[in-house]
Amino acid sequence: MEEKILICEDSLEGIFTAVYQVYAWKLDKDHVVFQIGEEGNLRLFAEYITVAPEVEKAEKVISTIIRKMGEEVYWDICCMLASRDPEKGQAVFRTIVTALKTGQGREVLSNVKEPYIQKAFELARNVNCEVHHLYGFLRFAELENGMLYAKIGPKNNVVTLLAPHFADRFPLENFVIHDVVRRIFVLHPAKKGCIVVTGREYDAFQLPGESEEEMYFQALFVEFCHTIAIKERENLTLQRNMLPLRFQEFMVEMGKK
Amino acid sequence: MEYKICEDKTIEEKLTILTDAAKYDVACTSSGVERSNGKAGMGNAVKAGICHSFSSDGRCISLLKILFTNECIYDCKYCLNRRSNDIVRASFTPDEVCTLTMEFYRRNYIEGLFLSSGILYNPTFTMELIYQTVYKLRTVHHFYGYIHVKAIPGAAPEVIQKTGFLVDRMSINLELPTAEGLNRLAPNKSRKTILAPMRQIQNGIAQNKNELVLYRNAPQFVSGGQSSQLIVGATAENDFQIMSVAEGLYQKFDLKRVFYSAYVQVNQDKDLPALPGGPPLLREHRLYQADFLMRYYGFRAGELLSEERPNFNVFLDPKADWAVRHLEQFPVEINRADYKMLLRVPGIGVKSARRIIQARKRTRLGFEELKKIGVVLKRALYFITCEGKMMYRTKLEEDYIVRNLTYVKEKLPFEVGSVRYEQLNLFDMASDPSIHYKQISQIDTKVLYG
Ligand code: SF4
Repeated sequence: MEEKILICEDSLEGIFTAVYQVYAWKLDKDHVVFQIGEEGNLRLFAEYITVAPEVEKAEKVISTIIRKMGEEVYWDICCMLASRDPEKGQAVFRTIVTALKTGQGREVLSNVKEPYIQKAFELARNVNCEVHHLYGFLRFAELENGMLYAKIGPKNNVVTLLAPHFADRFPLENFVIHDVVRRIFVLHPAKKGCIVVTGREYDAFQLPGESEEEMYFQALFVEFCHTIAIKERENLTLQRNMLPLRFQEFMVEMGKK
Repeated sequence: MEYKICEDKTIEEKLTILTDAAKYDVACTSSGVERSNGKAGMGNAVKAGICHSFSSDGRCISLLKILFTNECIYDCKYCLNRRSNDIVRASFTPDEVCTLTMEFYRRNYIEGLFLSSGILYNPTFTMELIYQTVYKLRTVHHFYGYIHVKAIPGAAPEVIQKTGFLVDRMSINLELPTAEGLNRLAPNKSRKTILAPMRQIQNGIAQNKNELVLYRNAPQFVSGGQSSQLIVGATAENDFQIMSVAEGLYQKFDLKRVFYSAYVQVNQDKDLPALPGGPPLLREHRLYQADFLMRYYGFRAGELLSEERPNFNVFLDPKADWAVRHLEQFPVEINRADYKMLLRVPGIGVKSARRIIQARKRTRLGFEELKKIGVVLKRALYFITCEGKMMYRTKLEEDYIVRNLTYVKEKLPFEVGSVRYEQLNLFDMASDPSIHYKQISQIDTKVLYG
C-alpha cells in the first residue's frame, strides 16, 4: 500500500493539526508518516500531503490528549514537540495513535515494545532535562527600566516551556526570556500572561541597557560562588559534568561572554 | 531588641566572611516543598528542588548559604568560628540578608535562603535575630521562596516555635555520632541541648499535620521537614555507628534528611586527626549511598553493616556489597519478583523498578526490554532471570561476581583521593587473582579509614 507522507509545520499547532487530519480523512494509520518541513528524502511510491496549521483543529487534539491521557502525558508530548529531533512528529503521532487505540491512556509511555514510543519517551526525557536545567541555570539581569532580561541558547525549543515556571515565580516582574538561537522573545508583563515575539517583531524589538545596580549584584554573586567552594574538595570535572559548558556561557558566575 | 551593628564593614566584605564561614554545612537542597505564588509577592517552591549553579568543588549551589554572624561564644574544636580562633568577625543585619536574598532570587541565582549562625551573646538572642530576618522576608518582602534555618541549640522554645511557622526547613546538626565525641570536641554542647529542640520541632510538625487536616488554611510549620548533619572522620566512630545514629534520627525523630560531611581540617588541634590524604570523600560517598538505601530501598542499617563488619567496602557500593553476601536470595525472576525485591537487585533503581512493574502488566519482559527500561545489565545480570533464563551462563558465587563487578569501573563523583584509590586499584583482585577479596577489603579499610 502506498505511504502517505504528511508534511507539517514545526510547531504544536502544525503537528496536532496533522494528527487531526489523519482521523478526519480516515487514513490508514500504519501507512502514514509525519515529516516536519519540506526537507527530507523524497520517496518514490509515496503521496505527499502538506498540512497547514489550524488552531481550532489543534485545540481539539489537545483536549482529547488531556482527556484521554492526562495533563502529565500532555506536558511530555509538548516536550517531545520542542525537541530538535526531526523524527519527533512521527514519534508523537505513533504515541497518540497507540494510546487511543489500546486505551492505555496515561500509561502509554511505559509501552516498551513499540520503538516509536521508546523514541518519544527518550525525547520527552531529554527535553524535560533541559527545561529543568534552565529552571536553575537561566540568569536574569536587571535593565535600566527595572525589567529582567535573560538570554538562553538551548538545544531544544524550550523557551515557551520555561515561561510558565518563571511567570508563577515572578508574577509582579516584567521579564523577557530571549532564545538567541531561534530568535524568539517571550515577554511577561507584570500580572499578565506571556507573549511570544518572533519574525519581524523580533527584529524591531529594542532593549535598554543594564541598570546601575546590576553590576554590583553580579559581582556579589560571583564572589559568593567563589567563596562557597571548599578548596580541599576541588573537583572541576564534577563541576563540568553537573553544569555543562553550553549553559556556562550565559552565566555570570562562570564568566559569561 | 537592641543589636549593635558593626558599621565598619561593607556588604561585600560581610558576604565573603559569612559565606566562607558557612560553607562546611553541606545541606543545600531545596526539595520537598511545592508552593505556587499567591500572585502577590515573589517566589514559589518546586518539589523536585532546583540546582542553580555548581561550585568548583562540584557541589550544587541552590540556596544563599550564609551565617548571620560568625561571632561565637562557644568553642567547638572542629569549627573555624570557635571563640579561641583569632579570625575576622562580622555580622549581617536582618535588612542586609533580606536585600541579598531578594536581589539574588529575582535574578534566578538561588532557590532561597539557608541561614545559620554562630552564637552571639546567647542562643535565644541569636535565634531571635534569625526569626526577625525571616519574618521580614516573609511579611515585608512577600518572599515565597524556600527558607531553611538552623535552630540554635539551647534557644527558648517559643522563638524556635514562631520561627518554625515561617520557614520550610529547620535543622540542628548533631555533628558527632556519639555523646562521647560530642563532649570531647564540642564541650559547650550536649546531646540534650541538641535533641530537645529536635524533638520540639518533630512534635510541632506532627501537631501541625493534624491542624492542617482540620483547617486547611492553618499556617504551616516546617513543611519541608527537619534535617541534621554528621561530620565524618573527625572522630573514631565507624560507619556502622554513624548509620545506626542516622537510622535512629529517621525513625525516632522523623527527620527528612541526614547529611554527611567529610571532615575538613580547618583547625590544628591535638584532639583532631590529621588527614594528609584530604577529607575522606569515598567514605562520605558510601554513607550517602547507604543513606539512600535506607530512605528509598527499604534497607536497615543492620542489614548493610554489623559489629563484625562495621565499615563499608571500598570497592563495592553498599547495595552490591549486600547482594553478594546474600546470594541465597538470588537470582530474582524479573517477571514475578515484587517491587521490594526488584529494588534490591544491583543495577535496578527506583525508576527502573517502577517501569518494570508497569511494563510487565502488558508483556513478558526479556533482557532487551530491560535495557530499554534503563536497567544496568552489566551489574544486574548476575542476579536476575527473565522467563527463567539468565543472560549469560554465570556462576552464582561470591568471589566470581565480586571480581566481575569490580571490572565494571564504578562511576564515582570524584577521583577517589586522586592517589589512593588508583593505587589500590593497581593491586586489586582484577589484576592479581591470588589476593582474596576479603583480605583486601580488610587492608584498604585500614588504609582509607585511617
Ligand atoms: S556553636 Fe560551635 S559549631 Fe557553631 S559556630 Fe559556634 S563554635 Fe562553631
